[in-house]
Amino acid sequence: MKVLAVEDSREIAVSIRDFLSREGYICELAYGFEEAREKLALFTYDCILLDIMLPDGNGLELLKFIKKEQIQSSVLILSAKDALDDKISGLEGGADDYITKPFHLPELHARLRAIYRRNRLAGSNMVSFNEITLNTDTLEATVNDIVLDITRKEFELLLYLVVNKNRVLSRQSIAAHLWGDYTDNLANFDFVYQHIKNLRKKISAANGADYIATVYGLGYKFHATSA
Amino acid sequence: MKLVDKFSLWFIGVMIFITPITAYICYYNLEKNINKAEITHLKELNVRMADRLSRGEAMNAIALKGTNLEVVKLAAALPQNRVQVQKTDNLEEDSKGMLSLLTVHSYFDIKGQPYRISSYNYIPSAKQIYSVILDTVFWKLLLIILCVAITIRLVSQRILHSLRTTMKTIQGFNVKNRVQFSRSNTREFKELNSFLQKMTDKAVDEYCAIKEFSENASHELQTPLAILRNKVELLSETAIEEEQALLLGDMQNAIEKLSKINRSLTLLAKLENNEYTVSEQIKFCKIAKEVLAAYEDRIEMKNISVRTEIDKGILLKIHPVMADMLMNNLLGNAIRHNVQDGSIELILTQKQLTVKNTGLPPVMPTEELFQRFKKSNQCSESVGLGLSIVKQICEVSGFGVSYQYRNQQHILQVDFQPRTREEMKLNRQDNLAPALV
Repeated sequence: MKVLAVEDSREIAVSIRDFLSREGYICELAYGFEEAREKLALFTYDCILLDIMLPDGNGLELLKFIKKEQIQSSVLILSAKDALDDKISGLEGGADDYITKPFHLPELHARLRAIYRRNRLAGSNMVSFNEITLNTDTLEATVNDIVLDITRKEFELLLYLVVNKNRVLSRQSIAAHLWGDYTDNLANFDFVYQHIKNLRKKISAANGADYIATVYGLGYKFHATSA
Repeated sequence: MKLVDKFSLWFIGVMIFITPITAYICYYNLEKNINKAEITHLKELNVRMADRLSRGEAMNAIALKGTNLEVVKLAAALPQNRVQVQKTDNLEEDSKGMLSLLTVHSYFDIKGQPYRISSYNYIPSAKQIYSVILDTVFWKLLLIILCVAITIRLVSQRILHSLRTTMKTIQGFNVKNRVQFSRSNTREFKELNSFLQKMTDKAVDEYCAIKEFSENASHELQTPLAILRNKVELLSETAIEEEQALLLGDMQNAIEKLSKINRSLTLLAKLENNEYTVSEQIKFCKIAKEVLAAYEDRIEMKNISVRTEIDKGILLKIHPVMADMLMNNLLGNAIRHNVQDGSIELILTQKQLTVKNTGLPPVMPTEELFQRFKKSNQCSESVGLGLSIVKQICEVSGFGVSYQYRNQQHILQVDFQPRTREEMKLNRQDNLAPALV
């Protein structure tokens, strides 16, 4: 996947590139409006990560340009502004999704993959890894062709783990992924732990390998080679 | 007391003080001048009489009958003072005392014979003059007071018009909008208006600056937070030992908390600035159900039994984001501060929303928990802004909110149509009582 990250903060842009290149993505960076416009005119990208506040322009204007030039890339807006207006105008302007800073990198990756599946892989709804297959439309998960009896949250958790396989996923990032805004007041780690525990139990009940491991002090990891 | 009344009273006071003085001066001058004129007149009469006598006309009593003259031959020599004036009050013929008799005696030496020629006339008595003046003064004072009382209101409406406009403008002032004060040709009002203009402009500027600051603060803090979080995430994927993993884990916790505090404070600032104003009504019951659904899995895990009573078609004038946050905070708290196998009751009616939950008894008066960074357990993981946000949302939306602990249950109640403020206060005191005991 070829990605263009339009982000004025070099540190964030580099983090995004480092993270995504480990997935084998080609990630190019643009630190400003003009630079981004030039790159968009010359190259094609599967996905554009777009910051709204740019030193020499507004990301929403760039979005207009993308739509006007009929560039077929998916657009994921990154914004430090929690403002609702930006979110609405971004999505109405044709962006595929919206993520607020400070975001978790695995979350960004999961969103990126989701819009990529939708737009690029002709709406393919299957995500599979070894014996595990996830249908993102029906929210059905199968292990060795056995349908798992899992809840919606467990499905989302499994998908998040599979998409971010071989990554350390912090409990905070998992909580933010599962519950979004509805996490602020809760001791989420217990709930994350319970969801993970239940998921492992259900996968092993279907004779799946135990891919999910606890990373001491940090969170969890989906090992591509079972532990 | 109105400004116009104060001015009127002062004016009338001055009038009452001045009037007796002017009345006295008037009386004194009037009497003096009447006397003077009469004396001059009588003196002339006497002189003319003396002329006639010196021409040899015989002036006996008969000839003088019917006139106000009297000629007397004197045996003695002429007195030193050739003219003497005599004034007599309390005349017998004037029982009402309205007249005084003024007599002028002139002494002449006509052909060696000393004569006394006297003439007299009736003039208004002092008492008479006095009573006339009193009468006049009384009417004058009465008319002045009446005129002042009537006209000052009309005039003040014109003169104070500018002040009234200024007051109206200042009453409708809101830090969000600049106001323009009207021009006046009165110096004091001009000064007042220009002072108020400066003051309100400054308030608006300050407000804009604060608003801008809170917006910028959010953005400026969120970028370094994002950098920090992402770098720690990248770092945690490198080859690290357990010891370092623990350190990174703690850092991640701190970053998470920082980001939540930042978000909450920005939100509170936005709420205070009334940035979430709405004109439309939304279905609150729908939002309540949605938020409840978002917490479903965690309610289940804590084995909390939930009883809901949600009426249909509850329309409220509240921003959808705020409605969501309100429910989110209330339910989040009810779960967080609940015990394993506890219970939650969610009752939503047209009038109010009540969230009851089991939990440990509060360690401080429940109302205090609405304050920022107040937590029932100071070392707990939570930020301590949830209830502040709830309160702020309620204030902005014109709802009342109360928190009680009764029958081992925490009861948070939001009144959509709060009663008068007085009643709310009473209600609040009632709520405080059990918590303090």
